[in-house]
Amino acid sequence: MEDLHARYADRAVRSVFIYTHEAHPGENYRHHTSMDDKRANAQAFVDHSNIRREMFLDDLDGSAHRTYGGLPNMTWIVGRGGFIHYKSAWTNSADVEDALNNVLDFQENRISNQWIPFYSERSAWSTRPIDKFREGLVRAGPQAVSDYEAMLEANKAKRAAPSEDVAPRVPGNFYKTEEEDGGR
Amino acid sequence: MSATDYNYDVFTGGQEDFLDFAMHAPKVTMRAPSFPVEELSTGETVEMKGFWKKGVTVIEFGSFT
Repeated sequence: MEDLHARYADRAVRSVFIYTHEAHPGENYRHHTSMDDKRANAQAFVDHSNIRREMFLDDLDGSAHRTYGGLPNMTWIVGRGGFIHYKSAWTNSADVEDALNNVLDFQENRISNQWIPFYSERSAWSTRPIDKFREGLVRAGPQAVSDYEAMLEANKAKRAAPSEDVAPRVPGNFYKTEEEDGGR
Repeated sequence: MSATDYNYDVFTGGQEDFLDFAMHAPKVTMRAPSFPVEELSTGETVEMKGFWKKGVTVIEFGSFT
């Protein structure tokens, strides 16, 4: 996403990061009990990950984050004037760039081509950089690792094996086969 | 939801959150909600609607963990 920001900055595209609660709090990066906690963790993230985008903090209640859906790593694209062009449950830079090019094309050519926007939804797919994710859990602390393992175990107990209908089962895919849905 | 509930200290996860995102979060073609947010580098509070005043804005939500 940092690379995307750099490549599109000269096309009047503003890239911002809004810091939320800690998704996987651990001993090293605790949950926030004050805005100072939030500022400290956000600054650690900027320093560690060399974030060059503008960094903003949501309030302690997560007012903006919860209104936008409350997921741990969403990306949204908003056009001039506040028109929502894109919402994604996960951040995948290739998918964001594809959507961004579509938005820029629309904004630059809609008048000459007499385009009108319409509502559309689609699914998106991504690889799961699990090693990098686990590295982040370890960085947060042993509690973050054990909480995540416990969640996996709980989900495993609830979930049937991946079906031929939709695979793999990933967070954000809430598809149910007819069988799983009680034959409905 | 209280600030304490939002800033949970134990992650439990939940597939329901993703369903809520699809069903209840703002939809594309709607107007983006605006909230005050604090700029980390300056401490200044600004309205999100200032982001999209002049052009397209890519907004990523996230945390270190």
